[in-house]
Amino acid sequence: MVKDKKKLLIIILIIAVLPLVIKSRTVLNALVLLLIYATLGEAWNIITGFAGQTSFGHAAFFGIGAYTSAILFFRYAISPWFGLILGGIIAALVAGIVSFPFFKIRGHYFAIATLAIAEIVKQIFVSWDYVEGATGVSIPIIPRDSSFFTRLINLQFNERLPWVYLTLILFALAIFAASYLENSKVGFYLKAIRESPEASEAIGINPRKYKLIAMMTSAFIAALAGSLYAQYILYIDPFMMFSLDISMKIVLLTVLGGIGSVYGPIIGAAIFIPLSEFTRIQLGGSGTGIDLMIYGLLIVVITSYQPKGVIGIIETVRNRRNKNNDGGEGKGEAAS
Amino acid sequence: MKSKLILLLVIVMVAATILPGCAGTEPEEPAEGGEDITQVDIGAVLPLSGGAAATGVKLQAAMEVAQDIINNEYPDLDIPLAATAGLPNMNNAKINITFADHQANPEMAKSEAERLIDQGVSALAGCYHSSATKPASQAAEQYGVPFVAGSSSSAALTERGLNFFVRVAPNDDMETGMFFEYLKYLNANNGTDISTVAVAYVDNEYGVHAHEMVEKWLENQYADEGFEYVGAVSYAGDVTNVDTEVQQIRDMDADALFHASYISDITMFVNKYKEFGVAPQAVLNYCGGFQDTQFVVNLGENGNYFAGGAAFSSDKLEDLPELAVINEMYKEKTDADLDGPALEEFASIMVIAEAINEAASLDGDAIMEVIHSKEFNAPYFATGAVKFDESGQNEVPASYVVQTLDEEYRAVYPEDISTTEPVAPIPPWDER
Amino acid sequence: MEQIITNGLLMGFIYALVAVGLTLVWGVMDVINFAHGEFLMIGMYTAFWMYSLFSLDPLIGLPISMIVVFLVGVFTYFAIIRRVIDAPGLTALLATFGFSMFLKNFAQFLWTPNYRYINDAVVSGHSIKIGTISIGTPQIVASIGSIILTILVMLFMDKTRTGKAIQATALNKNTALLMGINTKKMYAITFGLSGACVGAAGALMSTFFPIYPGSGALYSVLAFVIVALGGFGNIKGAMFAGLIIGLTEAVGGYLLGTQFKYALVFLVYMIVIQVKPKGLFGW
Repeated sequence: MVKDKKKLLIIILIIAVLPLVIKSRTVLNALVLLLIYATLGEAWNIITGFAGQTSFGHAAFFGIGAYTSAILFFRYAISPWFGLILGGIIAALVAGIVSFPFFKIRGHYFAIATLAIAEIVKQIFVSWDYVEGATGVSIPIIPRDSSFFTRLINLQFNERLPWVYLTLILFALAIFAASYLENSKVGFYLKAIRESPEASEAIGINPRKYKLIAMMTSAFIAALAGSLYAQYILYIDPFMMFSLDISMKIVLLTVLGGIGSVYGPIIGAAIFIPLSEFTRIQLGGSGTGIDLMIYGLLIVVITSYQPKGVIGIIETVRNRRNKNNDGGEGKGEAAS
Repeated sequence: MKSKLILLLVIVMVAATILPGCAGTEPEEPAEGGEDITQVDIGAVLPLSGGAAATGVKLQAAMEVAQDIINNEYPDLDIPLAATAGLPNMNNAKINITFADHQANPEMAKSEAERLIDQGVSALAGCYHSSATKPASQAAEQYGVPFVAGSSSSAALTERGLNFFVRVAPNDDMETGMFFEYLKYLNANNGTDISTVAVAYVDNEYGVHAHEMVEKWLENQYADEGFEYVGAVSYAGDVTNVDTEVQQIRDMDADALFHASYISDITMFVNKYKEFGVAPQAVLNYCGGFQDTQFVVNLGENGNYFAGGAAFSSDKLEDLPELAVINEMYKEKTDADLDGPALEEFASIMVIAEAINEAASLDGDAIMEVIHSKEFNAPYFATGAVKFDESGQNEVPASYVVQTLDEEYRAVYPEDISTTEPVAPIPPWDER
Repeated sequence: MEQIITNGLLMGFIYALVAVGLTLVWGVMDVINFAHGEFLMIGMYTAFWMYSLFSLDPLIGLPISMIVVFLVGVFTYFAIIRRVIDAPGLTALLATFGFSMFLKNFAQFLWTPNYRYINDAVVSGHSIKIGTISIGTPQIVASIGSIILTILVMLFMDKTRTGKAIQATALNKNTALLMGINTKKMYAITFGLSGACVGAAGALMSTFFPIYPGSGALYSVLAFVIVALGGFGNIKGAMFAGLIIGLTEAVGGYLLGTQFKYALVFLVYMIVIQVKPKGLFGW
């Protein structure tokens, strides 16, 4: 079951209403990117937050999804809807096959291995002619006077509004899936495995099987986000899609928001993405790098003063209130 | 309790997305005719932070020089739109360039291009990095806004069939042809005996494509004229050392070497060439590190005798008086002479302004109509003109072959542009 | 081929010195310092400015680089690491990630993104020939410097009181506290020492590598792989792993294509880690 269904729906409704109120394309652009990164964060949370296997290479799955739908459209004019699903499946398979041998490896070593995987995937795509290698894929643009239906089939719009809703639907799916997983048997086992792998094995839980499920689900969702991203930007190449920057961005915004909680990614993305857009727009034109300097500084400040992320702040506040209420509200998850 | 707090927080956070663009409103429709317009807005998306920021800032300066010439009166300068203030057919409206930073990131390039389009620019210029130019121009195409790329060299840009995109710089296809003709010229003129060719290229779109062009020209034409391909070495852009690469180049022992490299790698290569005594008869560089004025600054006399394509060299200032004036204005901003990419970005602004002026309209289709049909008078280029073909490529090659001699770039080919004879074969390192 | 192997070993020693600093921090404090590459960059710039403003040869500027980056390391500890060291693991990493972004752009802000070169150092432009092998003097000096410094660090950790105190803190912080060791001071020294190592590496490399705000980036990523390969906290491991990586890069690149140089490095990591899940010398 999905916990807090009402809460999730409210959040989604609020975001759904925003574009009807705000018309600025800059804001809507930030919103689309925010939702894509929030989806990536939810996906990442499943393997890192729930299962405890830190991944620094999630850009690999993001990119595989993007490339699958882009190449199918570019070479064979196949609708990106199909490419989206296929991309997810391929990413999940790759994730499963490649990461399975590494589940016995712990902590930082595993994280570096995921980084290595992403870099190797990048090199493969750079040298592989079928996916256009280093040149990248410029997605063909459909005529300006295409009907809405044509645009829907080809997933290309020249307004922001459809993109906000598409990415919102994807995010909704991701957050519901994550919440469902978290509160299901699989989620419970994953938490047990994360806290103590030896004890879980002693009880009869097979850690590798559940980590595999988590990894494949995580990769699938990340790939879906990748396909939408490719159709939105209309150009992809191995350097931008498989970059360490993207992998670290995902880590950053999820940890900022609060790792392990399904609300973490959306909160983190809501802080992070507007922040980077804002500093670039306001300060970027000078050529001095000031915008990124301030951005970096803010990350340092936020992480060093609230290491548990925004969720941590909420927990602290809640705990203080509970103390004041003399334990009346009870500890643990408050039912809503 | 927790749920409500979270809810509140999420609302606040998502509402924070309002910050970046609260001032933004509905995008304006481009106006027809020139009655009420006092200012024509143009957008330029450039790398203004990150590794290429040094170049981006120079390109910005070049564009600002163009803006100055167009908006003010320079009656003695024989360039279009210089004598008048602003655009005469648009009631002397001034052009106003808004600069944006893409950080060498395609996602940002698209975001910034669209943001500028939202603000109502009538045309876009940029982006230097082909990987940024691509999504930015895709966005321009979607909204019907003309995009004139100055210096992005990837041939793929004009192979996309876009209607709203043109590019000033020669692409690597044209440059490769020119390089081979130059080698033939050296064989005839300097008594060299060049037949084997190898390529060293950075493993990204720029390098890979250049390499493909070499193979293509050999296959289509130059293999029959006596040239032979012996191999290629490619490397990652952020490589920490080029020991192995240079070793492989030495093993190939080609007569002529084509380089598609950036300034940091080419500098490492040249130092290693000296260390290993690697000196082919000719080394030709695509538009990249060699043309960066830092090349001669960093390498000094070790950088002599290398050649490459360039749209600008200071020895042409005597022949082209208009160029000399532009160079002076540019120098005031940057303390350095122009270089090829800067000149090409300068030209892109001139093309946009002239097209808007001649169309007497801010309508995208009308502007593109002019851009596609007009032959632009460009006395600041050695070849004198700019003319775009159906694919959007400037078919008049803006560049010519230069060689570093006495730590300066000198024009050496074609003969009608050259100011001095090329030196070939390159003297061995121990004989310098 | 001997030339290729020689080149690989020379680069390997340099990689090793860069990695030694990182493995210290990682092993003692369980913190992945994402700003390590930027510390390297600061070391390089220090050497450059000493050269360009005061005509100090980088070899003479080397101790200055070491001191400067030592101080940067100590500052980083007190300003940032101290707050995040007890937090969930990833937070410290992210703090250093933000710091690396800040440092990189601060360098661009202060010194422009132009590539700088040191062309007239004592070692520049010379090379030594041994048989058919040619070795650039800057590279051999850098390698020898790296070896010396790595050994010095090992001796420091094993033989001096402070070094042993640091090791004790690494093994068990609470026990170390009980024994009267000022753990905060130990951590600060460790971070500073990490900086000093990589500052020295920067000064050594400044004679043959371009100096610009992003010059530390790839070295940083390679350092992570080397540290993990060698076993985190293990200096000897970092040295060997550095050599392995240097050789893989050179030999693998020569045999399979130089564009695959770094992909091969990552592949080697993944294979080794399968066989030895805690690195070559990890425990």
